[in-house]
Amino acid sequence: MPAKVTTDVISQVREMACELVRRSSRRLRHLRYCDLRIEVGEGKGAAAENGMDKLSSEDYGFSFGVRAIAGEKMAAAGYFGQQLGAADLPRLQRVLRAGIDHAYERALASAQSKALARERLGPLAEALHDTELAPIEVCQDSVPPQYQIDPRSLSLDEIVRYVREISKGVQGVGQQVMYNHVGASTALSRQLFCSSEGANIDQSWAMTGGVCFVVAVGKEAAQELYDFVGHQRGWEAISQGVDEEHIQRPDLRTFSLDLAKDTVALANSRPLKASDKDVVVVTDPHYNALLVHEIIGHPTEADRALKMETGYAGRSWLLKDLAENQLGKRVGSEVLTAFTDATLSGFGHYLYDDEGTPARRVVHVDKGIFFGFMNSRQTAALLGAEPNGSYKATDASLVPLIRMSNTCFAGGDRDPQDVIREVEHGYYVVGHRIPSIAEQRENFRITAMKVYEIRNGELGEMFRDGGLTSDSRDYFMSIDAVGNDFRLFPIPNCGKGAPMQTKRMSNGGPTMRGRAKLTGAA
Amino acid sequence: MITLARLRKSVDEGLAYLRTVDDIEEAEVFAASNGQLLTRLNYTSHIPCNGVEEPKSSESYGIGVQAVFRTAEGRKIGFGSESSDISIEGVKEALAKARKGAVLDPEFVSLARPSGEKRALRRYHDPRLMRLADGELVGCGWEVVGGALRTFQASEALIDLASGDLRALGLIVGGDVTILQERIAVASYAMPEVQTDESSVILSFVTSMVEREGSKGSGWAAATRLAAFGDEAGREAAGNAVQAIGGVRVKDGEYRVVFGPQAVMDLMVNLVMPSVNLGTFYAAASPFMGKLGKQIASEKLSIYDDGAAVGLIGSKGITCEGLPTGRSELIRDGVLTGLLTNYYEGQRILGDPMGREKLGVDPGDYRAAMVPRNGFRFARGGGRNFDSQPGIFATNVIVEGDDRSREELLRQVSDGLYLGRIWYTYPVNGLRAGDFTCTVVGDSYIIRDGRLAEPIRANAIRLNDSIHNVLQGIIGVGRERRPTLAWAADEIVYAPEMAVEKVGVQEIAGFMEQV
Repeated sequence: MPAKVTTDVISQVREMACELVRRSSRRLRHLRYCDLRIEVGEGKGAAAENGMDKLSSEDYGFSFGVRAIAGEKMAAAGYFGQQLGAADLPRLQRVLRAGIDHAYERALASAQSKALARERLGPLAEALHDTELAPIEVCQDSVPPQYQIDPRSLSLDEIVRYVREISKGVQGVGQQVMYNHVGASTALSRQLFCSSEGANIDQSWAMTGGVCFVVAVGKEAAQELYDFVGHQRGWEAISQGVDEEHIQRPDLRTFSLDLAKDTVALANSRPLKASDKDVVVVTDPHYNALLVHEIIGHPTEADRALKMETGYAGRSWLLKDLAENQLGKRVGSEVLTAFTDATLSGFGHYLYDDEGTPARRVVHVDKGIFFGFMNSRQTAALLGAEPNGSYKATDASLVPLIRMSNTCFAGGDRDPQDVIREVEHGYYVVGHRIPSIAEQRENFRITAMKVYEIRNGELGEMFRDGGLTSDSRDYFMSIDAVGNDFRLFPIPNCGKGAPMQTKRMSNGGPTMRGRAKLTGAA
Repeated sequence: MITLARLRKSVDEGLAYLRTVDDIEEAEVFAASNGQLLTRLNYTSHIPCNGVEEPKSSESYGIGVQAVFRTAEGRKIGFGSESSDISIEGVKEALAKARKGAVLDPEFVSLARPSGEKRALRRYHDPRLMRLADGELVGCGWEVVGGALRTFQASEALIDLASGDLRALGLIVGGDVTILQERIAVASYAMPEVQTDESSVILSFVTSMVEREGSKGSGWAAATRLAAFGDEAGREAAGNAVQAIGGVRVKDGEYRVVFGPQAVMDLMVNLVMPSVNLGTFYAAASPFMGKLGKQIASEKLSIYDDGAAVGLIGSKGITCEGLPTGRSELIRDGVLTGLLTNYYEGQRILGDPMGREKLGVDPGDYRAAMVPRNGFRFARGGGRNFDSQPGIFATNVIVEGDDRSREELLRQVSDGLYLGRIWYTYPVNGLRAGDFTCTVVGDSYIIRDGRLAEPIRANAIRLNDSIHNVLQGIIGVGRERRPTLAWAADEIVYAPEMAVEKVGVQEIAGFMEQV
């Protein structure tokens, strides 16, 4: 056993872990299914405020999680997760086995209680059913990471210096910059998934990101902006930027300085006035990243649709029940198409999800017709659908949830400049800021970084504190132009579940034109 | 979980070891063992389900070291941690990481020093909760689901509505039961005697629906002892869902509103508490910049944080910096009287050249308004984590005012809205601007002639307003407070009902009537 925790641990424990899971099926009498995830990460990062060093760290992460499905009369699932350390390496087999036993005991207890409830709670208990997983192709595979600058080879001092200099640069944008925070991190992670069905998947990925938060006080108002750059690559993702077909992001320095200049300009701008009625709005790809996240991505998660998030993240207006729903119905205009695709290069990329299902493209809306949900094996079984590889956890110790990977509006064929030029009077909405969405995602209010007035096809005055609000279906139906400038953006912090899991993903789309009400300052 | 005695021994030995290291000016050792046990609840009468969806747990233990190093470049501060090893070897690993990550932070003054206050709480945890068995965890979940289903079955209103088949109404019970088990030990050069703390809570938050009728109700329960926990969250949520049948829509306009305890909690957790955090003032991002000691709300409103209150759910004996918890007055009779802080921020503001402008007063004159009683290492939805440095977190947030009964508040409003639960309450134009929006998702009613009238349809209105308007528009605060829980927040808000004038309301999602 190695003394240090590195991503090489996965190679060293792979055979033992898979054998342990296989043996559990024979060892535990009522076990119907078991899977185990082990994850190791090696990362480093630093942060600066107002040009001053604040923190830096280089460490590893090591954790595992187990799912067991077991029962005598009825089957139910039980889970166990734990953070690990180097001291666990010599005793890892024992620790993993204890975790499997805990998950099994919980599954058995839940199955027994469910069977008892079915006897005691009358007709209402007839909805209680056996936990089932839809079948998948059982895979054995190894997926290497992609990077030019290995996160492990970069010196921590270089990250500290890099963010400090950028933070100083942001401070130097002007006296109106009152505060800034710049942070960056880079990591290499590796995860093993094995199941009692025989899955044995070893996936690695590099992950690098940078964040900038700026507060400026101008003659009109104070303004605060926050944004993130990052990619599933090495340090080059933020030291050089990204230039791929669908992802074009500057280096962290350029990005932070641009954000600071925007913040200052906005602090000296007038607030947008809210409108009483819908107006013509052209939304840029960055704004559409948050829009598609909130009003396409979340409501097309099957766990929400099946009411499993009623107490927390909410339900979906797209499914009332298994018989009455929007599948096959028009929910948007002819030019609106949206999908999730984990196989695309992006912040949410992967080839297998956390139950070993191969990832693939999931079309949600095709030319305005609602097509389908992201799912897990359990929810696919309930919906009578094929599993589509959307079950992911933030860390191996946590239970996976149905999550976006790369979710976006599809690109169209219009020149984005033409989309603006054709507007006699309207607004160009640039950059996403903060969302507030109704519980079933049937209505949204999302603020933008900047809003420009459009007059006779030309951009005019820039306003601060503006945004859009609309009922989701009305907005989808109003889309009449879709640009050919499809872009993906990293979203580092989508929260879901209990305990809340914060997941990274990509969202995006092209420039689009529709109708919505403007929001402004209260 | 690791015993308190082992954590104490590790910290004691760890600190002794650190004292032998030449280049350390001062250091702190923090050891923790945490368990978070959770059963998610998911019952749906019209869709096959498991009832109790996910009995699960996440566990961790380890040791963290904060150290100040003497270097040729100056004093550097660093933090490192090691998981699953609280031996001296673990301390050495954590120290090596702290050394590697140490930075020259010109605003760092020192690690925490004694505040002069005395610890109030000891031995307040529940041993039964600390050693809960797998079967008991599952049992807690089923108890709550059972409470909700029995309430539905006993409802004559539902039986009449269902024409014999309750399942067709689309009955939903969702939420969770969460158990937090926390043990810590901490010591430092400045406070060398090892201090320990042990806390446990059990929480449940449940949402129930009669989905065919679009009605939704919430229920919740929180206790520090297993014996005090029952099925009440399930019963309450189901009862409220039944009561909300027949909801009506509300037109755009400005309304007098009574916010229920859950709605008050949402305003507090998402808008007010982040705004009275000293770190937010340092970052120039609070809507109350320059207002310390000034009126920011109606004189009817007072808010304080009290981490040392006996029997309250969010209480702790000591902070994760080893300082006593206690009561911090935040807003008294509408005046901003204090800010939540940890030791670092409390020191930093004293040396901030912009400190007077940010607070509106000389920070040195207002030290008593910024006592470090809130330096906690909360993360990952619960637990006091060895691998985090102390941030600023509220504990028990107590909202109080002019002690009116619900009947008095309703009479005061006369005609308006009772909003029991709001959702996704965010400062959409940035926290400093104070503008917020949210939607109303359940537990809400029309107020007519000073009484609760028909329920308001769930998800049919959005609020668009400013926290300044809401705080200044308070016309009454209830006398009864309930402990309320927010998703992914660590604090417990003891929230009353609160009457507010002129709240901006927008009707939304009319198309859902036809979907």
